[in-house]
Amino acid sequence: MNAIIVNNLAKHFESPKKGKPGRMGTNNPQVKMGLIRAVDGISFEVKKGEIFGFLGPNGAGKTTTIRMMTGVLRPTKGNVSIFGKDVWKNQILVKQITGNVPEEANVYFDLSGFQNLTFIGEIYGIPKKIRIERAENLLKKFELYEKRNLKSMKYSKGMKQRLLLCMALMSDPEILFLDEPTSGLDVQSARIIKQLVREYNEKGVTVFLTTHDMEVANELCHRIAIINHGKIISLDTPENLKKLTQEYKAIDFYFDHSVDVTKIEELSSVREVQKVREGFHVIVEDIHESVCEIVDFIKENHFIIKQLNTHQPKLEDAFLKIIERGDRN
Amino acid sequence: MIEINSDFLISKKSKFSNFKIQLRRSFTITKKDLKIYYNKPPVLIQGIFFPIILFFAFTVGRNIEPVYLISGIMTMVLFLTSTSLGPIIFPWETMRGTLERLITCPISIKTIMIGSIWSSFIYGVLFSSIPLIFGILFLSSSLTINYFLIIIAMIIASLVFSSFSLIISAPPTRNPGNTMILQIFIKFPLLFISPLFMPIHSIPTAVISPLTYCLDVINVGLGEVSAFGPFGLLIDVLGLLAIGFGFLFLAFAIHQKTLEKRFQG
Repeated sequence: MNAIIVNNLAKHFESPKKGKPGRMGTNNPQVKMGLIRAVDGISFEVKKGEIFGFLGPNGAGKTTTIRMMTGVLRPTKGNVSIFGKDVWKNQILVKQITGNVPEEANVYFDLSGFQNLTFIGEIYGIPKKIRIERAENLLKKFELYEKRNLKSMKYSKGMKQRLLLCMALMSDPEILFLDEPTSGLDVQSARIIKQLVREYNEKGVTVFLTTHDMEVANELCHRIAIINHGKIISLDTPENLKKLTQEYKAIDFYFDHSVDVTKIEELSSVREVQKVREGFHVIVEDIHESVCEIVDFIKENHFIIKQLNTHQPKLEDAFLKIIERGDRN
Repeated sequence: MIEINSDFLISKKSKFSNFKIQLRRSFTITKKDLKIYYNKPPVLIQGIFFPIILFFAFTVGRNIEPVYLISGIMTMVLFLTSTSLGPIIFPWETMRGTLERLITCPISIKTIMIGSIWSSFIYGVLFSSIPLIFGILFLSSSLTINYFLIIIAMIIASLVFSSFSLIISAPPTRNPGNTMILQIFIKFPLLFISPLFMPIHSIPTAVISPLTYCLDVINVGLGEVSAFGPFGLLIDVLGLLAIGFGFLFLAFAIHQKTLEKRFQG
């Protein structure tokens, strides 16, 4: 079952100077005829219970897309439906079952963490007893309970972001929209957020996530769409996306003896060798096969291996490759 | 089949149920605004001292009729307090990022605006009663006071002025300073064309100012005859209501139009 269907969605903004390209530059394909095509006819579906990643470089159209999906911006063309309901036509209905952490959003600094949560609870029409109970549980879960009565202006950035996520979860939503939830956070806060997003997803919450953090996307997302210049240029699972960058399979190693680079080049499983300080960085096709061959080489030559690290293709490499390929096309 | 909470089902029922839900939620916005923006020592001190200072500034050494003095100060305080913070809340919340958080909640922009009007209204009514209390204490011997009329004037005028303040807050700026400058250019000319501290007929432009109708009701409440004849009170109330609804619908329309621009780019 699809939780979200995005159909031919587009958003065009007027360029600040009509008839001239906007701030995005003369060569930007998003700027045409005095219009900035922030999002240019994208379509995709998000399945119920899925964590769907939405990646793209700055200015690609991620935030504009999420704003149209959450009813902040009206689409110029196309539509978004959530559980079969058109978002723009049924705003209140749809917003009642979604939770949001917008990128530029903030908590109310003059309210305490607890007051921020109960305020949102009241806006969602949650009865007083339930909203107090829910606010306390969320504060405990997100490790904010000790500071619940402190004005949130005194919270750190990580604490504010955790509080924002608590606010999004106050209504017990079916779908969670997270726009850069871990951006610029300390390790502890980022880890808490990742753990809890995963936990809520396991309980059945569908998550739509935009992020610049490839590690987060790789760890959390079931599927990822990549957007650039307002168009979706790739949509697949992280594993399949990474297959595009098989050349990034590599092994770093060094021995107790110096070895001539030609000896390493002679190894059959090695595609490319680079000398790096005391050791080598080799690009391989099959990591297991290459490691075995290197170990045999060591045994034959009576060397001692000092260090050996293997590198799997990263989502970051795949992302960059897809963006570069998209730009070339 | 997904499970959805009961409030969600209520919102599917009828327009009237939805209206009730949105009205209730507007009070939540009001509580938030009062707590965050109005319940601040500088705002409260200004709200208390401003009417007192005005009262003594126009009483001591001036020969103004007590009726015009009380109605003038009350109207001026009602106008200035009801429109004091309304123009800056939207730009302030846009700048802070709380507006975007708010509009992703199940409330309409109109609900947020109505909530903002309630808070300006409470602030305006509360502090405009200070000159009334002072007037009663110091000048009541020469006046016959109809409290009902004065309270009606305070309530309607405060709602009208609060709606007016929302129009000033409509430009899609993130800088509260911009709307503060704008309000100076709009509010003060409105004060100058209003017949404050004098008979209404003495200023020809008076009829176009909403303050005039408020002044007239208060004047009648203080024992004067209406400046608009035997049906003067009716004209005042209908005039205020018409202007108030005009302001409200204009504010709705402009905000609907400018809201998107707050989040562009």
